[in-house]
Amino acid sequence: MEEEHFDFVVVGGGHNGTTIAAYLSRCGHSVCVLEARPECGGGQENTEARPGFRIDPHATYLYGAAAPGFEQLELWRYGFRQVYYPSMAGLATLDGKAANLGGRFTPGLAEESLRAIGVEPAGGGEIFQTLGPAAIKELLRALFWTPPHPPDADVEPGDQPWWQVFRKHLGGVYSDRLTEMSYVDFLDETVPWEPMRAFAAFGAWYCGAHPAWDGMLLQSLGGTLLYSYSSGSPRGGIHTYAHSIIRAALAKGTRILTNAPVGEIIVRNGRAVGVRLDDDAAFPEKTIWADKAVISAVDVQRTFLDLVGRQHFDAGFAQRVSDISLKGGSLYVLSVICRELPRYHGREEWFPEEVYPSCVITPVDSMENFNAQTRDAYSFKRMPDKLTPEHLTMMVCTHDVYDPTRCPEGYHVLSPIYLECPPPEYDVTGPEGWNRRKDEVTKAALTLLGEVAPNMRGANIVEVFVNTPLDSEFRNAGMTGGNWYAARQDADQWASNRPLEELSRYRTPIENLYMCHQTMHPGGLCLMAVPYNLMHILIDDGLVEPGSWWYPSPWYMNDRGSVAGAAS
Amino acid sequence: MSSGTSTAPSATTGERKSFAFVPEGEDAVGLPQEFPEESEYDVVVVGAGPNGLIAAAYLARAGLRTAVVERRHEIGGGLATEETLFPRFYTNPHAVYHMMVDYMPPLRDLDLTQHGLTFVKPNAQLASVFSDGTSLVLCRQIEDAKDSIAKFSQKDARAFGHLLRSWHRAVDDVLAPGTYLPALAPMDMIEALERTEVGRELLRLTEMSPVDIVSEYFEDDRVRMLVLYAACMWGLHPEETGLGFLVPLLVERALNKAICYGGSHKLAGSLSREILRAGGTILDNSEVTRVIVEDGHVAGVECFDGRVLRAKAILSSLPPPQTFGKLVDSAHVPADLLQSAGKWEWDQWSFFTVSVATSEWPWYEADDPWVNDALMTVVGFDSTEQLLAHWRNVLAGDLGDELGGHATVETRYDPTLPRAPGHDVAFLQVHAPYDLAGGWESRRAELIDRVLEVWRRHAPSLTEDNIVSVHAETPVDIETRIASMVRGSIKHGAYDPLQMGVFRPHESCTAGRTPIEGLYLCGASAYPGGLVTGGPGYIAAGSVVEDLEAERWWEEPRSLVRYRETYLS
Ligand SMILES: Cc1cc2nc3c(=O)[nH]c(=O)nc-3n(C[C@H](O)[C@H](O)[C@H](O)COP(=O)(O)OP(=O)(O)OC[C@H]3O[C@@H](n4cnc5c(N)ncnc54)[C@H](O)[C@@H]3O)c2cc1C
Ligand SMILES: Cc1cc2nc3c(=O)[nH]c(=O)nc-3n(C[C@H](O)[C@H](O)[C@H](O)COP(=O)(O)OP(=O)(O)OC[C@H]3O[C@@H](n4cnc5c(N)ncnc54)[C@H](O)[C@@H]3O)c2cc1C
Repeated sequence: MEEEHFDFVVVGGGHNGTTIAAYLSRCGHSVCVLEARPECGGGQENTEARPGFRIDPHATYLYGAAAPGFEQLELWRYGFRQVYYPSMAGLATLDGKAANLGGRFTPGLAEESLRAIGVEPAGGGEIFQTLGPAAIKELLRALFWTPPHPPDADVEPGDQPWWQVFRKHLGGVYSDRLTEMSYVDFLDETVPWEPMRAFAAFGAWYCGAHPAWDGMLLQSLGGTLLYSYSSGSPRGGIHTYAHSIIRAALAKGTRILTNAPVGEIIVRNGRAVGVRLDDDAAFPEKTIWADKAVISAVDVQRTFLDLVGRQHFDAGFAQRVSDISLKGGSLYVLSVICRELPRYHGREEWFPEEVYPSCVITPVDSMENFNAQTRDAYSFKRMPDKLTPEHLTMMVCTHDVYDPTRCPEGYHVLSPIYLECPPPEYDVTGPEGWNRRKDEVTKAALTLLGEVAPNMRGANIVEVFVNTPLDSEFRNAGMTGGNWYAARQDADQWASNRPLEELSRYRTPIENLYMCHQTMHPGGLCLMAVPYNLMHILIDDGLVEPGSWWYPSPWYMNDRGSVAGAAS
Repeated sequence: MSSGTSTAPSATTGERKSFAFVPEGEDAVGLPQEFPEESEYDVVVVGAGPNGLIAAAYLARAGLRTAVVERRHEIGGGLATEETLFPRFYTNPHAVYHMMVDYMPPLRDLDLTQHGLTFVKPNAQLASVFSDGTSLVLCRQIEDAKDSIAKFSQKDARAFGHLLRSWHRAVDDVLAPGTYLPALAPMDMIEALERTEVGRELLRLTEMSPVDIVSEYFEDDRVRMLVLYAACMWGLHPEETGLGFLVPLLVERALNKAICYGGSHKLAGSLSREILRAGGTILDNSEVTRVIVEDGHVAGVECFDGRVLRAKAILSSLPPPQTFGKLVDSAHVPADLLQSAGKWEWDQWSFFTVSVATSEWPWYEADDPWVNDALMTVVGFDSTEQLLAHWRNVLAGDLGDELGGHATVETRYDPTLPRAPGHDVAFLQVHAPYDLAGGWESRRAELIDRVLEVWRRHAPSLTEDNIVSVHAETPVDIETRIASMVRGSIKHGAYDPLQMGVFRPHESCTAGRTPIEGLYLCGASAYPGGLVTGGPGYIAAGSVVEDLEAERWWEEPRSLVRYRETYLS
């Protein structure tokens, strides 16, 4: 066996690892991706747990339609197809109200639906309706598809790219106060109807930064804008999107090895030079050399504490890495196969089939639903002894109304149904805490669903699958916390602080080792954003020279503090 | 709001499907570009099972613009590695045992090892445990197998040695190369085989039933039972004559099974990498509903969502009732072919597979610990009569009390199969009818218990406490997952003398060609048949390259050349 040498070795074949591989291959480099599991895609997974039925154990919606990656990597060539939904979201309360909040293709639907239940539509979201898709795309690009400024750059919060774009389009609304607010503060001021507030808070929590985190108003809103801008899911499920990225990488020359867990990132004289595979990896040569760089597309804690090893950095750094907070996106995921879609309070007219909301957040009677669940996940860090409704607000998703490839006719799949919970690592009852009480949680959640939607009982429910954050960790090696953004997306761990100041520009204390995982800015979701941002740094470091297909972020600030500005 | 709807009846399932909403006009501005509504290739392959992928890999490398279109969300067909024991545990729900890795040309011609494709072929291959605690372990190394047989019969041990050596020659010289060359007409076949001693022996066996063959060679009933199991487990009728020449192949290969390290899907993944690197296209979630024929020649395929992929040649891996009965407008299909497609016999039996995740792996209490190293262990049968009774029940549409099957601990030789730490995954697979008396849905739970009970009798570690999760796949489930395996037909159609050789699937279709210009068959319903052999895909690729005058970039393996010289010249 000859020595295996590549320009770049990518550890981890999840969304971010495969995307950076496609970028690097498109630049003409030799690239090898090493993935521990039998299939790449990481959190972009679909499972046919019951023959004929597709369920979504982790990721479910496409959030990244505004990504440059679609054109830069030519994903259309490799089978990318999206199914768009005329209604993205709805809400239902326990006390008998429900509203269809529509989506970008159904203007007026939300207002009509709210008025029908006697609620005068009003809300902070309105200001964003004045922005057209082009302005929203610009705002999203500034928030997500721009590398964080160098940590030592002297930039006022209001001058961050995303606030710049906000000011450009919504100058009349802007004030410096906004940059310090949390989304919950903002909702309190702008949304009078409490269920709508609770709905919006939950929605943000499921789509991005937790809405109670200070100074993260725009990031919280940004998550929901990503959601409504993209308005749907890839055909057949999120894994098909992974397929298009993987196939783009392969077609452009990437070598991808699966069942190839990396046990060590080899560091010589402070430089990363390659990786060592575990002995039982499915590849004869266990040492793979990286002539230009090693890119870690796995969790930051795993990267440094396990794969690089503490012998290569100081105790202070090791402590900062261990302290990175995992709170935020650990989800208990239910999938329910049923014969009829939920009819909230038995009333079909609320959600007619042509515009059935692909997700319904329920119950959202009061902000106490939201606060109680936040306390369970972050303060008490355990499941409450009594599972009363305020502890069980769910995001109930269904795709098959619009995508018939998901299940046979005559059935529906409610998948995923998300419930926020603490990361297993922090659960005071132990990592198996929620797993031990699976049956109880599932039963309580379904009972509650049956109260909000009375047809969700008895023979209508065909089969139920449960996936806890701990299950996600086992399935997807190192999905620490079973967390959809891997590290808390609060002001202390965002942009130039994400996940730590010294890592925020994707470089690491180890020369030639770069990070490309959701632990990095802009965090979770399959946005192709971390790799796009990393590309800027690799170009600056002289490692890659993309062709004319490449365009950088107009807000990108290089190490010397200069911003190239936009041609586009 | 705008909406467009596309609807087409499904060729394979008969359902009607549609996308309810498609943004148009203003709404569509700025959305990411998608795979085109119409695209053009030289070749389109329908179905991404092992055969479709193999054909596509050869064709893409030959410089033909090649697309593979697959109905499922995942490619691979029978090559699947998925989280069926949801959550936390993966299995290979379909093909597990790879019996032709020693011969498959694609494994040499294509550059698959660079993708990490590795097979593991343990010595202990096929074992059986009996009620009295004795066991029989047939190994790849023949002397080891003989040692185990000698416990039961010294005479059988000697016979086994002679037989396997001669059958190995038959496989090497005739049966394996014949898998990768077009079928011969019966008269030509007889004339060819008459030329050699090996050939004459195969002709003799052809007229015998599998039961007769094992009875002729062996005296001990347990030895007979296990060899018969190996001969018939893939669907050869134990008591019928006409296909006896397959017994040496199936038995000899049953002692040379390999597992695909990292899961069977890894073979599919490696093939797909070759296709993509050679510029090919793979499109999943796209059931093909129609083969477009223009001016008597195929022109492309249409998918259920209306997408069209145009091409000069179409390779279908679907069985005749689907390919000729549904995909192609019957006006273009010659009457005799259409009629025969209408009478296509599906597999006579299928599988019922019970998979378990366990905190302690199922090990057998038996006189020989090697049983626990065996890749496949047959449980439940102490005699040929019991085994035949089971099969007769299955053929009659039921599962009687004499139930048994073959078990494998999937994590034994593949530690990379994802699972919760400290656990193992294993299955017991039982022959089973598609039309089960009483129906699968109502009897599923009862039959899971029955299978576990039989298994537990021999593997006491399989206690309820140790089993952390159970998943069963019925023949109906097989068909639901893989629409080409109608009625759970793992081979896309019965092994019946009238559906084998040149008759597979019909006399008018040789070397993958069909009477419809530009339409080829490349799946298990074409010669040489089912299982992961790669034969149908390899043969069809050869014909397409020849017909399209593309570069035949690969060389025929020496064994094929020798076979041609000896039998075909
Ligand atoms: C419950 C849930 C719901 C979500 N919902 C959505 C959603 O609707 N939409 C959306 O866009 N996103 C969603 N996400 C987030 C999305 O799944 C993640 O943000 C994304 O998968 C992160 O990609 P990644 O490449 O950074 O990490 P991962 O996807 O975790 O990939 C890391 C990869 O590295 C591999 N690996 C780990 N260690 C090693 C090693 N030592 N050697 C080799 N390989 C290794 C892993 O097996 C994995 O494949 C959700 C996530 C969860 C958990
Ligand atoms: C439970 C089970 C166990 C088995 N065990 C073994 C084993 O251990 N060893 C072994 O060698 N073999 C085994 N087999 C048999 C083996 O899997 C098959 O014979 C083999 O996969 C046939 O390959 P193929 O490529 O011809 O067809 P398939 O594998 O059936 O592939 C056909 C493909 O076409 C797709 N398709 C169907 N309809 C359409 C359409 N309209 N449009 C587009 N695509 C379509 C299907 O989804 C599928 O992917 C097993 C099968 C089963 C079910």
